[in-house]
Amino acid sequence: MNGRGHAQPLGSGFAQEPSADTLIRLPPIRVRTDRGEVAEFLHATGGARTGGFVPLTFPVRWLALPSVRGLILQLIGGQGFLPVHEGQSFAYEHELRIETDYILAIEARRTAKPPRLTVKMAIATRQGEICGRSETLLRIVPINLEPAS
Amino acid sequence: MIDAGMELAPPDWPRGGDVIRAQDFGPFAQAALARYAAVSGDDNPLHLDPNAARAAGLAGTPAHGMLTFSCFEPLIMRWRRDLFIARLSGKFLRPVLAGEAIQVSGRVIRRREVPRPELILRLTARTQNNDLAVVGEATVLYKIPGQLG
Repeated sequence: MNGRGHAQPLGSGFAQEPSADTLIRLPPIRVRTDRGEVAEFLHATGGARTGGFVPLTFPVRWLALPSVRGLILQLIGGQGFLPVHEGQSFAYEHELRIETDYILAIEARRTAKPPRLTVKMAIATRQGEICGRSETLLRIVPINLEPAS
Repeated sequence: MIDAGMELAPPDWPRGGDVIRAQDFGPFAQAALARYAAVSGDDNPLHLDPNAARAAGLAGTPAHGMLTFSCFEPLIMRWRRDLFIARLSGKFLRPVLAGEAIQVSGRVIRRREVPRPELILRLTARTQNNDLAVVGEATVLYKIPGQLG
């Protein structure tokens, strides 16, 4: 277990709730704003704009990429805990464009007290220009795994 | 004196205290939560499995926080189309359960004209019982129609 502010490699997952703060940074991830995926996302969120733009909350779907999802699940602490979304922010320098490649820089910080996970994402063009950032704050809630009677 | 490159606010640029007319979103049926789970990748069982929701102490499956949060963007863009949303943040105060609708509204809390016309918006999403579900804040910039942010 690393102390506050230290990076920790993947693969050393928690078997239980962590007892100290941990920060993990992922290697850069390449993503694309696929036109069809943007359209489906707009449809599911009731967006007013029907083309040419990427909804500003679209990057949340990149939190479900396997490497990011794996990181989040690892830091949550396995079965017996659920992440509850407490807060979210986006800051954009430029709107994202459809059918464009971006590079993500992602880091996640797990705090034990209070039990929270903060996932920060920076979205840059392939040339390295930052387009936007997001921050996701998750509260980690223990759940009762006993079958409901 | 107007500096070169400075953008002027249009004559109808909003003022502090102006209200963004409330809009209704939802109700968010369980099928809508499943659709959002599919497009966002957030298949947290809390939103999809009533047993998981009960285990977390909820009366029913809650809509994804990001699904309700995502309603702020169409609210703003239906209000004015000449805006670039530079920042959007929100806190999730209480769950919106499957089958419930929300009413989303906003108010201009600050206005600035230089170096680029800018507004700070306070945003709220309330349940049908008028409970505050999400509170948000946006920074929006004047965007000359036809230009990217």
